[in-house]
Amino acid sequence: MRRLELFQCVCIFISLVITFLLVFAIGSLFLVPEFADIWENLWSEEMRFSLKLSMLTGLISTLLVMIFALPIGYALSRFEFPGKGFVKTIIDLPVAFPELVLGLCLLLLFGNTFVGRWFSALGLKFVFTKQGVVAAQFFTALPYASRILKSTFDYINPRLEFVSRSLGYSMFQTFINVSVPLAKNGILASTVISFARCIGTFGTVLILAGGTYMKTEVLPMTLYLNISYGNMGMALTSGMVLMVVSFLAIYVFERAEVGL
Amino acid sequence: MSLLEILDLEIDLGEFALKGISLQLEEGDYLNIIGPTGAGKTILLESIIGFWRPDRGRIFLEGRDITDERPEARQIGIVYQDYALLPHFSVYKNIAYGLKKHKTEHVKETVEDMAASLQIDHLLHRMPDTLSGGEQQRVALARALIVEPKLLLMDEPFSALDIQTRRQARILLKKAIRERGTSVIHITHDLDDAWVFATKLAIFRKGRMLQFGPVEDVFNRPRSPFIAEFVGANLFSGIVKANGKAPCKVDVGGFTLDSLDMARDGAGVQVAVRRENIHVYKDRPRKRNGANIVEATLRQVISEGRDFSLSLNVCDTELGVLLGREAVRQLNAMPGDSVYAVVEAENVRIVAPDQALA
Repeated sequence: MRRLELFQCVCIFISLVITFLLVFAIGSLFLVPEFADIWENLWSEEMRFSLKLSMLTGLISTLLVMIFALPIGYALSRFEFPGKGFVKTIIDLPVAFPELVLGLCLLLLFGNTFVGRWFSALGLKFVFTKQGVVAAQFFTALPYASRILKSTFDYINPRLEFVSRSLGYSMFQTFINVSVPLAKNGILASTVISFARCIGTFGTVLILAGGTYMKTEVLPMTLYLNISYGNMGMALTSGMVLMVVSFLAIYVFERAEVGL
Repeated sequence: MSLLEILDLEIDLGEFALKGISLQLEEGDYLNIIGPTGAGKTILLESIIGFWRPDRGRIFLEGRDITDERPEARQIGIVYQDYALLPHFSVYKNIAYGLKKHKTEHVKETVEDMAASLQIDHLLHRMPDTLSGGEQQRVALARALIVEPKLLLMDEPFSALDIQTRRQARILLKKAIRERGTSVIHITHDLDDAWVFATKLAIFRKGRMLQFGPVEDVFNRPRSPFIAEFVGANLFSGIVKANGKAPCKVDVGGFTLDSLDMARDGAGVQVAVRRENIHVYKDRPRKRNGANIVEATLRQVISEGRDFSLSLNVCDTELGVLLGREAVRQLNAMPGDSVYAVVEAENVRIVAPDQALA
């Protein structure tokens, strides 16, 4: 067996310490409450509303994110156009933005500007509504999905697309026949990460859609509201549900990434 | 009407560029393009097929201006160095992919016929990542040929193959191309490809086409020292000793070579002699008009597969010779032996100094 170097030991030690702390933190979430309380909380009216709204908005947002992220990721990977660097920076910006600031920006955009009035005229009102939950989740998750998809398309040999076009297929047909099937693992990974980000988005939803009990109450909001009321059982239950969703998302993402 | 006509093509992609490329191909022509890495050969193919839009110049296919046409409308096929087989399709689906776009009837029979002609009919159910390099190359060729392109472009299709597989692939390719009468532009680094396939040859360097013409012309009348060296000729610097009458004598430092080319008396020139145009004898051959006979010392004999490369020393100048196995056996000489190199005056070419790209 190879001799362990000091540097190697230090690196492994740090990894193990942080892993232990995280496992302990996650474990405490599951160990503190009684199982019967969790079961009861899960079936409470508030939790059922919150779960249902989270799943519904999460699915709609993820679908919208993927519809927009696919062309964005493909454009950033394949095409040269004026202002490409600017577009990339702006689309990526929410990754580094605090969610609260993003929420505030969206609140101003959809509240006071012509964009807000224009959407409003179309029947889409985003401020303090369920539609606002979807908008908040969409803008929070979009940069993650477009980044993953850009990297995925970067890895696909463009010559495969060249050959397809030389055989008579248009750019769009080539995208559907060649690029999308070859990007399936990246598409799966970005879908899962987007869904996890949508379900877990708190700050943006709070500012744009508001944290109104049984109206715009998604899972992170249930956690926040119940901690405010001092109802730890409900807060822990919503935390557990969020944790399970995140864990499944990371698991599927890792599996998909292996296949990339 | 020419099959392909390229007029003054210019394209600048930053790292690679093409400048002032003009060439013409007729139906059934087989053009080999050779040149060092970074010469712009692949950009030329990708411009012809429509993946890059030229900054200047026009491309005509059968008289039709295709410069702004989409790649899918051009009916030009391409085979890449890495074959670019669609990894999510089986061999059958790869070959049928283009065909299905153009016709829906008899697809299966057409694919099977094509696969049989390229000896890959037993591989149709396999996935590309399970194939050897030679098999992948034949699948890529079948996929490109099955749609009957007006022009087939090939970017170093043999470079990833071992010598034995390359030999078999050449035979199959030649047969497939001849049967269909397909016109081809083929980038290669291997001069043997040019001898086997080419009707025309183009030499590229730093984005420019240095010479273009029938293959014999380019090999035997290199337009510059760079081309002469690139096509494997011996190159000597010399001074013209006689003018106005053939043969023209060139002093190449210690020995004189007669050439049928004309040059100004006293001019400094470069002389190119192809390795395969030199004959070697152990005994002094009889002197005759039009033949240069120089005494040399055999330095070494190296096998190059079917042929042998001989290195001779003539007045401290190295002379490379390419001889067949039988010729080497008949020569029966060992390193250190005195031998006589014979080259016809018509095969001693005077080439202009390569000032433009020096």
